[in-house]
Amino acid sequence: MVTRGRAALGVALTLVLALTTAGAEQRPVQRTMRFAERGTTLYVTTDVTNLFDKAAYDRLEDGLASTVVIRLWVYPSGKKTPVAFQLLHREVVYDLWGEIYEVAVTGPSGRRLYRVKYKAEALKLVTGLDQVAIAEVGAIPYEKNFELAIVAELNPVSAETMAEVRRWLSDGAGGGLDRGGSFFGSFVSVFVNLKVPDADRVLRLASQPFYRKRPKR
Amino acid sequence: MAAPAPPRYRLGVHRPGLFACALAALALAAAAPAHAQAPPPGVSPDLLDPEGSTGDVGTALGGAIGPVVTIEDIQIAGNRSTSTRLIERSLPFRRGDQLRVSDPRLARARWKLLALGYFREVDLALRRGTRHGQVIVAVVVAERGTVALNRLWFGTSAVAPWWLGADVGDRNFLGSGLALGGGAAYASAGAIVGARPQWAGELRLSAPALRGTRWGAHGAITGQHGSEPYRVSGPPGSGEAADLRAFGYRRLGVRGGPAYTLSSLSSVVADLRVEAIDAAVPIAPTRQLPDGRVTAIDLGLRRGDSRVVSVGLGYTRDNRPDPALPHQGTRVEVAGELGTSLLGGSYDFAVLLGRYDRFWPLTHKSAFGLRLAGGTVIGDAPRFDRIHIGDVDRMVAPRVMGMTTALTAPLDLLGTDNADTVYGEVGGSVTVEYVYQWWRRPHRIYGGDLFVAAGAWTLATTDELRLRDRGAFAALPVDLVLDVGLRIDTEIGVFEFSLANALGRVPRW
Repeated sequence: MVTRGRAALGVALTLVLALTTAGAEQRPVQRTMRFAERGTTLYVTTDVTNLFDKAAYDRLEDGLASTVVIRLWVYPSGKKTPVAFQLLHREVVYDLWGEIYEVAVTGPSGRRLYRVKYKAEALKLVTGLDQVAIAEVGAIPYEKNFELAIVAELNPVSAETMAEVRRWLSDGAGGGLDRGGSFFGSFVSVFVNLKVPDADRVLRLASQPFYRKRPKR
Repeated sequence: MAAPAPPRYRLGVHRPGLFACALAALALAAAAPAHAQAPPPGVSPDLLDPEGSTGDVGTALGGAIGPVVTIEDIQIAGNRSTSTRLIERSLPFRRGDQLRVSDPRLARARWKLLALGYFREVDLALRRGTRHGQVIVAVVVAERGTVALNRLWFGTSAVAPWWLGADVGDRNFLGSGLALGGGAAYASAGAIVGARPQWAGELRLSAPALRGTRWGAHGAITGQHGSEPYRVSGPPGSGEAADLRAFGYRRLGVRGGPAYTLSSLSSVVADLRVEAIDAAVPIAPTRQLPDGRVTAIDLGLRRGDSRVVSVGLGYTRDNRPDPALPHQGTRVEVAGELGTSLLGGSYDFAVLLGRYDRFWPLTHKSAFGLRLAGGTVIGDAPRFDRIHIGDVDRMVAPRVMGMTTALTAPLDLLGTDNADTVYGEVGGSVTVEYVYQWWRRPHRIYGGDLFVAAGAWTLATTDELRLRDRGAFAALPVDLVLDVGLRIDTEIGVFEFSLANALGRVPRW
């Protein structure tokens, strides 16, 4: 009975620990952004520089490619379905021998290549959102509140790579005596468990609510 | 006349309360799937999920940039126990290779090393080589503990008042890349005539990649000193020790064979198994039925010494991005085994087992899962190779390293005749599962999923199907599996707390 009581206590403690950690998911950071309308398109100006911490910034000169993928959604306030979506892709690599940074910026207007001398310039190119088209104005009715959500990822990882990295988790014990149990059963095991994130770093931003003012006649 | 002023975008922050509401609304909105606009061609619709990763989008939208370089050298640091050669073999490039610095092979190298399961951290960087255009790839690894507790057995029942066992393994034994593992279990003897304490042990060794190739090898030695209970009288499902007998047996076996990695997510494995069995099976075991009739019973083993010699083949494919808390992806596993007297065995039999798990994301927080598992045993298979009730019904205690430690009758929710079901030749289960993502975080307790599962299991002997005096449904024990619980993925392992698991450990008798 004592053993059972201790086991129950252990389970209860684990559950309590789990419950107290629940809800600690990443929430979007509020950011004031600038919006502008030109012609039939709505543009935003902001940046995702916080995606890079010091280590990530230093890694820009390691000679390997760094990839930044930025997704933008325009939501009507209080609604769950976005009215517009935009995808941006930036890549930067340092040429060790040429001592320059090559940056590729891909977005709705196509792909542009830049060569810059300094790391700070490269960072600005891959994280800056300068007059980026986010929606057609037809999707943004007058006098209604909208918000812009941004998710930026540094070096995102594909689902297949994730599966490969964590595949050993489900390899099982491979035993001979309990083959049936291993084959049919689900697994529970204790080990030093490496959790590989979907990306090196993720930044979630949310804009202030904004609206289009109806033009005066 | 002046042109009308262009519309201005103003802060919509009228009051703090509204601001908070808007933020909350945005958080809610960001948590919803979005399908308002199709993503660019060639890019997965999953991109529209704010909680999902963009995954392959880098490959889809990126292009080759940066100079072409020649790898002059590969320098590895940080590995205290893992051999440098083993790490080099796992890299997708070699010295002398020419490639562009944005080549996916360079980006993939980090993941290839992490996929070994030996390292906590892997960092790659390029440095200038001795000549223009040549680079040195610097790899810095941080090793992690590779010892795992794979399984833990404990419980109590009338057959075994207590049992305890564990299976542990090291995926990187002495830094060699070899996986060494083993288990041991002990079960005390209950008040059943013929019962004795049971123990079992196992030692395994495997090499996932021989000399960096796709070929691997594995081997295991197993031993068992067991006591198998069977019913001699009383009604089906009775828990009286007087209605049971047990016979002792010993098993000593080896198994081993090659493995081949078909792709990063799939592999095949072949097995040769040789096992000696010494069983003190009664000469003519019988059972007295409640109506007074006496029938012979099949205990599934030769009396005295016998051998099992078999060959097996298995295939596994698992593309679930997160096997611990799956929300998408498929796992397929098929295994066949053929035992024959042509190879010197005492038993002619064939076993075919299959398993299929698939998860479909419903929203970014919930998923629907389908789990199918089943198999058939043909011929004169030894008792241990037949399908056990614990294999198909997760609400009863499973075997402990092949030993029977409980004869718990399964719950009879459908009123089918299943109380006597322990071993069978045809069996399986189908379960549907609803999974709700409770939380995800990057450290310590990574995530938790609540799940509700429902399904059905069946297990029957060939005789029950062939020689039946009733309808197929009545002759084929079928019943329900119900489960609800919490799965937790943590820094120290993966755990599942579920109703079915608890039921399997309750000494119903």
